[in-house]
Amino acid sequence: MASRPSLKPKPKGGKGGKKGSSAADEESTSATAVRLVKEWTTWTMKTTKVVAHYGFIPLIIVVGMNSEPKPSIAQLLSPF
Amino acid sequence: MGSAASHSARLPPPPPPPAFDAATPPKPQEEAGKPAAEEKVDYMNLPCPVPYEEVQREAFMSLKAEVFEGMRLDYTKMLNQSFGLTHSVSMGAVEIPAQGSDVIKIPHGTYEFGANFLDPKLVLIGRLSQDGRVNARVKCDLTENLALKINAQMTSEPGYSQGMFNFDYKGKDYRSQFQVGNNEFYGANYIQSVTKHLSLGTEAFWVGQQRKSGVGLVARYDTKNFVATGQIATTGMVALSYVQKVSDKVSLASDFMYNQMSKDVTATFGYDYMLRQCRLRGKLDTNGVVSALLEERLAPGVTLLLSAEIDHWKKDYKFGYGVGIGE
Repeated sequence: MASRPSLKPKPKGGKGGKKGSSAADEESTSATAVRLVKEWTTWTMKTTKVVAHYGFIPLIIVVGMNSEPKPSIAQLLSPF
Repeated sequence: MGSAASHSARLPPPPPPPAFDAATPPKPQEEAGKPAAEEKVDYMNLPCPVPYEEVQREAFMSLKAEVFEGMRLDYTKMLNQSFGLTHSVSMGAVEIPAQGSDVIKIPHGTYEFGANFLDPKLVLIGRLSQDGRVNARVKCDLTENLALKINAQMTSEPGYSQGMFNFDYKGKDYRSQFQVGNNEFYGANYIQSVTKHLSLGTEAFWVGQQRKSGVGLVARYDTKNFVATGQIATTGMVALSYVQKVSDKVSLASDFMYNQMSKDVTATFGYDYMLRQCRLRGKLDTNGVVSALLEERLAPGVTLLLSAEIDHWKKDYKFGYGVGIGE
């Protein structure tokens, strides 16, 4: 409840601040949209890279263990 | 070349078979007639050319053998027809570039764990080394003619990872490929069979971050006995190669490479003996480098590797031995 009044002024203050400061720049909403898209794509690329780095070898092992004929876990872990 | 591409797109229907009376008699007649008719080439039915990056495949197989230094142990364990794990230990030396002509080597040991999944439609190869680097290769056939290849090296340090996506389209007598890589790398290449033996190709690439671009042309002439290729690019690189298949077991290769930017000229001559129990490849360079690699199959499943490289100008000697266990 105390957070709501503090949250409401923030966006208003942010938008008002942006609109006020970028009065000369008419494309403030599209500029923010472009910036958000760039941030999201950067975040997606970074996450994809981390997922691929840690998950690629486990993915191959899972795909391989489910292929026919199915090998057993003992065959996977034993050295011969 | 442009008209050949449009012709292959609008292919006329194949001619109907000559006689339906008896299946077997027309066939020997057709086959007897074929050698006489072989002089007339059917330009509508040319074979599909070799992929663009494999244009110099025979020369690379003979001349770019993987010589190594130190000890190497490779263990391959196939759990399945298509799934296998590999463990690879290597103890050798790594060279650091130094000023002058000195060669500085530091000892370096690595362990690499690998998993391979090989399916007709999907190939997944992954290698994980002890310093956290993952090397990933994916080849997936999306449709009969369209394939996707992904090649990536991922490191724990940020900013050093690289990845490349390739989309390959295979047509009736042409292949085209589109590449997208990190650092805003875009490339495309196209290769077309022009006659039964000759195929011509072209490529273009653009690197966004360094604002570099280049165009290249390639020509490959291959017959049963020899393969000759030539490659030229606006990056100032000219590469010619010639491989002669002297017999089933022996082939000789030569390669000439000229780089205009760094004024680097190298000619290489090599041989490749493919015998029943072993494979011996050796080469001699105009940089004063002599090298050889022997892979001998001691028993089913056990392979011995012996490698030697002597650089006479830099006085750099590299000798290596290794054992491979498993298929």
